Amino acid sequence: MAAASASRRRPKREWILPTYTGLVIAYLLIPIVVMMLFGFNDYPGKFNFVWEGFTLDHYRNLFEIPELTQALRNSLVIAAITSVVATTLGTLIALALTRFSFHGRSGLNLFIFIPMATPEIVLGVSLLSMFVAIGFARGFPTVLIAHIMFSISYVVVTVKARTSGFDRSLEDAARDLGADGWTTFWTVTFPLILPGIAAGGLLAFVLSFDDYVVTAFNAGATITFPLWIYGASRFGIPAQVNVMATLIFLLGVAYVVISLLRERGRSAAPDPSEA
Amino acid sequence: MALGTQDRSAPAPPEPPPDRAGGGRKGSKSRKGLAPYLLTLPGVAWLVAFFAAPLGFMFLFTFYDGTIDIGYSFTSDWPQTYFEAFTTYDTQIIRSVIYALIVTVATLLISFPMMYWIAMKGGRRKNLFVLLMLLPFFTPFLIRTLAWQLVLSDQGIFLGTLKDIGLLSADFKLLASPLAVISGMTYNFLPFMALPLYVALEKLDSSLLDAAADLYSSKREAFLKVTLPLTLPGVFAGSLLTFIPSVGDFIDAEILGNPNTTMIGSIIRRQLLVNQDYPTGAALSFLLIAGILVAVFLYARALGTEELTG
Amino acid sequence: MTELERIMSAVSPRGVSRREMLRRIGIGAGGASMAGLLAACGVEGEAEPPAAEGKDPLSTAKVAGELNFANWPAYIDKAKGASPTLEQFEKATDIEVEYKEVINDNLSFYATIREPLASSQPVQWDLIVVTDWLIAKMADLGYLEELDHSKLPNFSKNAGAIYKDPTYDPDNAHSVPWQSGITGIAYNRELTGREITKTEDLFDPAFEGQVGMMTEMRDTMNLVILSMGINPEDATLEDARAAQEKLLKQREDGILRQYYGNDYVQPLAQGDLALCMAWSGDVLGKTLGSDSKVDFVVPEEGGMLWTDCMAIPQDAEHPVDALEMMNFVYRTDVAAQMTAWINYISPVPKAKPILAGAKDSYTRQVADSPLVFPSKDMESRLHSYKNLDPEEEEEWNDLFNEVIEG
Repeated sequence: MAAASASRRRPKREWILPTYTGLVIAYLLIPIVVMMLFGFNDYPGKFNFVWEGFTLDHYRNLFEIPELTQALRNSLVIAAITSVVATTLGTLIALALTRFSFHGRSGLNLFIFIPMATPEIVLGVSLLSMFVAIGFARGFPTVLIAHIMFSISYVVVTVKARTSGFDRSLEDAARDLGADGWTTFWTVTFPLILPGIAAGGLLAFVLSFDDYVVTAFNAGATITFPLWIYGASRFGIPAQVNVMATLIFLLGVAYVVISLLRERGRSAAPDPSEA
Repeated sequence: MALGTQDRSAPAPPEPPPDRAGGGRKGSKSRKGLAPYLLTLPGVAWLVAFFAAPLGFMFLFTFYDGTIDIGYSFTSDWPQTYFEAFTTYDTQIIRSVIYALIVTVATLLISFPMMYWIAMKGGRRKNLFVLLMLLPFFTPFLIRTLAWQLVLSDQGIFLGTLKDIGLLSADFKLLASPLAVISGMTYNFLPFMALPLYVALEKLDSSLLDAAADLYSSKREAFLKVTLPLTLPGVFAGSLLTFIPSVGDFIDAEILGNPNTTMIGSIIRRQLLVNQDYPTGAALSFLLIAGILVAVFLYARALGTEELTG
Repeated sequence: MTELERIMSAVSPRGVSRREMLRRIGIGAGGASMAGLLAACGVEGEAEPPAAEGKDPLSTAKVAGELNFANWPAYIDKAKGASPTLEQFEKATDIEVEYKEVINDNLSFYATIREPLASSQPVQWDLIVVTDWLIAKMADLGYLEELDHSKLPNFSKNAGAIYKDPTYDPDNAHSVPWQSGITGIAYNRELTGREITKTEDLFDPAFEGQVGMMTEMRDTMNLVILSMGINPEDATLEDARAAQEKLLKQREDGILRQYYGNDYVQPLAQGDLALCMAWSGDVLGKTLGSDSKVDFVVPEEGGMLWTDCMAIPQDAEHPVDALEMMNFVYRTDVAAQMTAWINYISPVPKAKPILAGAKDSYTRQVADSPLVFPSKDMESRLHSYKNLDPEEEEEWNDLFNEVIEG
């Protein structure tokens, strides 16, 4: 009866959540649309925030500012390396914290939060002081070191959201079937926690790609995308920045669309549940 | 939850290579004992070298008095530094905590239904939906926030239109207000809440929910008794990833706010960069860190997560 | 820890001059820095010893063929992404320039080089451009190389009179100007509905919630002090207090919208601000050319003239190459070429006739603008910042912080 009433209601309610999700995504896209629009703005002076007319010039002259191109390339490389290293280190910590009880575990649990709780400016200033004290020149490597440092905690917390309350029975089953530790890990545990690892990796990438404060202190002569943009904001951010950010965004959209199309092609056979 | 060293199932995820020097005598037991340390070693070493050590020296500064130009001198009256830092800036500290709390609740309310839908009904497309949701955050923060400034401008496309048709008085403004700051922060911190939520929601077994639907009389009850408790780790993680950094955030407040929305992050920045008063800046930072750790601890207790206390 | 305590306790209490303090410590500037503190705690520095001894003095050193140049964004002429000035320089001198736009504001940049300088480590820059008051401060701390003026003939030949022997750097011992600018008021005619002429207009209740001020303490405090009829260079702590009162009232009455760093142009252009403090070159680029609603005005009470200067950080690796650059930008044709693009005040008055003879009307407009080549009348209305010693700076900062930290 209850089940019947529930299923009777279902068709009426089915639309609410997808609509809601669509609205939230639309809200998230508002500033992105503005940004894309101003990539086409034909502005006369240095300042690009009053709509003046349509042009494709900024697309044609996308790489006209070598500094900016270099900055974008640096940021992408730094974010990619940060994401891989921080995700590896963070995942290992998260596994240790949730699967083992060991001396110092609760202390480590709390310690992980401190880098997140520390104001960015303090992270930047104190790290710079240390690099100076040990005579380590600032540049690309120090930016990398700093980014990995502040990303680890975010990865740990994200992966732990997946590993805690983890169902052990599957691993037990694998062991009972004779799999050794490594095999069990790679064939059972790893796929189960993979979404957590992927989410952690994405967060680390975004954190690194967008960091200004810590980078500004430890970059030496290395320029990153946010560093360049903050500097340029004093004199008006050139439309090429909008174009580059637009292209990054569209690249992501293209990936989503192509994946959807390929999947549509593949899943002619109905298979509602995911693997 | 199982923390088990006690049961034989306690797995050693990537098992460390056999310790040749130690010989096989101790067997798997000793490997189990070492495993967590070996797992945490690289990450913890990184954090100790590049986070804890520099921060420790920053801590020393709170025992000194002066600025970089005038020079520093040890002061036996260092508790006064902390006391003064707190009493001078208590307004900004409290304001930052309140803003961060509102932002945390707002991001939770906005992202939970969305991530629930994606995780439960997204099918094999769900990862693509998550990526779609995340894409705006690959645009630089400053560009996004300046775009908001343009959209919410007093005479802009949104307010300007409402004013033209007479729905708002001509001097109404959204920018330069606490509301604008909190909205901006809510936007910018959304992925920090949404991702951990998704990670937790996604592991829910839909067969579990079917079973729950059979057991409990209503969907609501099933949600409250099964879904919610099982996603608590996600809520916990998301809240921390949102709350903690948003207390120290300041760029939203500077671009979208007014002097009455100044957050503690701005103050610390000015103390370090403009006043070059490291003792006060450092003392404020440590007050902030301590306060956040206490809050995290209490929150963990309240939520019944053994994560921290375990 | 004992070593640390020795150093820290040797450091004077507040109120004793820095030189006196350094003399007492007897270890130079490093002792007062955080890095010095770290080193004292036993973190062994692998820093190279201060290179000064081993290196040629500036007068005999040779051109190295390399130059690391740190500057502000959009502060050099550009065409198709490259800078003609830099290209001509590389051709003329065979010096390869690494030009980086890394300076967003004085103090943030200073914070990134202060630690190494205080520890006598070379920074990665051979040439930096910072504002006059920071030049004074850095020179006082011994962070800047002395310039060999025999290598700067173009400067002595072409620099304007007011740029020689300035109060912030007597005899140009450590710096020569890059560009100057004026801190004044920008306003949106449509929103103010009238012409703006005075600093006092920034305090007019009619513009409730539409007035912007600057987070730069020196700009805001000096301009307000000027509006009270006091020459900032003679201002006392009392005057600073009176200025603070005025600013506090402006905020409490809701006249003020927000304090801005370098981000005031967008709210001004999109109509959130009716009027605000502004830098001449920012707004000039906006007002000239298109039919914009925004105007820039030097207030009746006077405006602030500041100068961004080139300087060589202590122990720079390629100091002679830096001198070459300093000399090169004082060629009249190079100065004209830069000013046509930058729109700030050129320290080379002889650039004006060159620009006035240009083919395009925009460049001729630039040549005619009193904001780019100030007339005698304009020059008389411009004032310099007050030179603040460290104690005064702390006091003024404290006063100003109360205003902007709500």
